Amino acid sequence: MAAKDSPLKQFEISTISNIEVAGYNLSFTNSSFAMLITVLIITLFLTLTVNTRSIIPSRMQLISELMYNFIAQLLSDTVGDNGKKYFPFVFSLFMFVLIGNMIGMIPYQFTFTSHIIVTFGLAAVVFIGVTILGFLNHGIKFFSFFVIPGVPFYMHPLLIPIEVISYLSRPISLSVRLFANMLAGHTLLKVFAGFVVTMPFFTGAFPLAFIVALTGLEILIAFLQAYVFAILTCLYINDAYHLH
Amino acid sequence: MPQLNPEFFISQLFWLTIFFTFLLVFLWKVSLPRIATVIEKRQNKIDENLSSAKELQEEAHEIEKRINDRLNVAKEETNVKIKNTMSFLQEDASSQLNLLDKELEKKISTSEKQILINRDNQMEKINEEIVKITKITVSKLTDINLSDSDIEKEINSRKEALN
Repeated sequence: MAAKDSPLKQFEISTISNIEVAGYNLSFTNSSFAMLITVLIITLFLTLTVNTRSIIPSRMQLISELMYNFIAQLLSDTVGDNGKKYFPFVFSLFMFVLIGNMIGMIPYQFTFTSHIIVTFGLAAVVFIGVTILGFLNHGIKFFSFFVIPGVPFYMHPLLIPIEVISYLSRPISLSVRLFANMLAGHTLLKVFAGFVVTMPFFTGAFPLAFIVALTGLEILIAFLQAYVFAILTCLYINDAYHLH
Repeated sequence: MPQLNPEFFISQLFWLTIFFTFLLVFLWKVSLPRIATVIEKRQNKIDENLSSAKELQEEAHEIEKRINDRLNVAKEETNVKIKNTMSFLQEDASSQLNLLDKELEKKISTSEKQILINRDNQMEKINEEIVKITKITVSKLTDINLSDSDIEKEINSRKEALN
């Protein structure tokens, strides 16, 4: 397969505006553009739909309120009252990932959540934030998080390293989960799209039908991954409050 | 794989930081407070309506209770009045019956007395007539003139014999 037809070509970054600061390449790219569109959609939607502040909401206002209540409920279910402080962060994270994923479902649009560096950036913010939170809440006692209560003492040399590794791999699992889902979904769609063109006569209709079904599945995954990202963030915040 | 090309790592992280920070601050300071206000306002309105509905319900219960109380009082009063009236009527009727009984007794006794008097008078008259008839009959049959006293004696002795 030629390089220009590669299913991974859709993930290539192209520079829109070349910016270089102190030797670092800070170019505004198609990825940055997708982020800009995402932020614009979220801010405009959430601002304009609630502009009237009517007690009996319009349909659009209702969507904003549903999203608000969805994340608020998620936080209160997992973290409880302590979670209210982190609501703006979790909500922003959820909306950013959700709309980023959804924009990727539009043909010829760039999916920035299919880039490991972006998802890792988000996951690192969560990881560092939660770790700081843990130390602020428990001080040095935070290390007891790695000691599982009720386990025989001779098992600790084995279990503590496992716990530490599992804790340190949180940002990796969080970011790779989102990245791999987006990458796999979009690659699969592209591969089947290639079949539509290359298969002879009308047989291309079969992969086309498959693409239609897969697109529905991908939209579901786009939502699901945003939800998973948000709920795991909530769980990590909860861990920072309740060690065991 | 374009994802593993480090050429744009810094650029992506840079723009991610800028856009995500902007999104976070904007939602935190502008959008979310607005939604929260609307939801709170609606909740307040619902609470207000619920509490006023509750108050009205309580008021309605209070009024219903008062109506029932008054109805009960009125029923009791009516029952008492009905009882009083009935007992008064009964007493009145029995006293009037008593009066009538007494009057009737009086009339009966006077009538009985009158009957007795009349009977005695009539008996006397009958006796006199009997004496006359006897006298006339004896004088016509035997030419004997009996005295009235003899005849009366004879009659009385016969009467006694009959009794």
